[in-house]
Amino acid sequence: MAGRANIPTNSSALIAIIADEDTVTGFLLAGVGNVDLRKKTNYLIVDNKTTVKQIEDAFKEFTSREDIAIVLISQYVANMIRFLVDGYNKPVPAILEIPSKDHPYDPAHDSVLSRVKYLFSAESVASDRR
Amino acid sequence: MAAATEELQFLGSIPGPESAGEVDGAVAEEGRPRGGDDEEILRFMDSVDGYLLLMNSLSSALRQGWLDLASARHSMGPSRVLSTLFDHKEQSAATKLQVVDHDGLKPSEPKPHFALSKWSLQEECYSTYDVSERAFTEPKMRHRGSVTTPENGNHESANTTASSTGADASNHVQRARSKALSVFGGLVSPKLRTAQLSFETALDLIVELANSRSNMLASFSQLKE
Repeated sequence: MAGRANIPTNSSALIAIIADEDTVTGFLLAGVGNVDLRKKTNYLIVDNKTTVKQIEDAFKEFTSREDIAIVLISQYVANMIRFLVDGYNKPVPAILEIPSKDHPYDPAHDSVLSRVKYLFSAESVASDRR
Repeated sequence: MAAATEELQFLGSIPGPESAGEVDGAVAEEGRPRGGDDEEILRFMDSVDGYLLLMNSLSSALRQGWLDLASARHSMGPSRVLSTLFDHKEQSAATKLQVVDHDGLKPSEPKPHFALSKWSLQEECYSTYDVSERAFTEPKMRHRGSVTTPENGNHESANTTASSTGADASNHVQRARSKALSVFGGLVSPKLRTAQLSFETALDLIVELANSRSNMLASFSQLKE
């Protein structure tokens, strides 16, 4: 199978989270929190003091770790690093943009739907002409 | 069927009946059956629709979780419900994922499949994939511990063992949940427990979303070609 991206079978992969405090707290309550020997966690709490650089570094770290299978990122946080999120195209870890308390989910900004929306371009053209 | 065809024409993916003669000629030249494209388009649209529905359900589950967290914070005090209370000592996540590479429609397409394993229980794998199909293709995916599989023909003992294993599993889950809640102190608000359940529901939906995403991108790749 030449040219195929390898997806390693993993029986104990983690879920990483980049979101606000309440969202991270909730998912930690559900048991997804992990701290390794080097005190590195699988989550980043984003507040008004968190810089874009910190978010970028966390995103790059989580998407390069082999033990992470899904990265959850609040959509308003993803908008801060939209160029990074839209440029990501690996099957694993899967990037899922989730809503936050103050920012409901907007399908127009979802990176996955943006990639496939051109198939509906005939509809958008038709609606513009009306 | 006619309505589905009309919708597909609106998207511009397939030509209308007035150009059927030209289309038939084009299909004959390309050698691809027209029905196969329609099926792929419908599969893609179903996956997009499913993705949006799941996202809507996830929004509801998260809203309930945030509301319960806010209620717990109100009753317990803001200093008792903080993420900083979570221990930064080395600890392994109790809820993890299983990732398997399920072959896409073409050998060159990667199509990962995700399954959730809650509270370190390997038998609680939440998946929308048809388990009966996978049992024949990849039996190693299902880890039942000491439970004998029906393929051995020992159904009765399997049922008895399964029920006792189920009770043990339930106790294990309760203990794991209590351990996660104990971070916030000995006595916690019932709202914190319901928040925990809401976020567990959100996790189930997230895994389904990840699989839906995988299906959508695989169908999209197929249609692009």
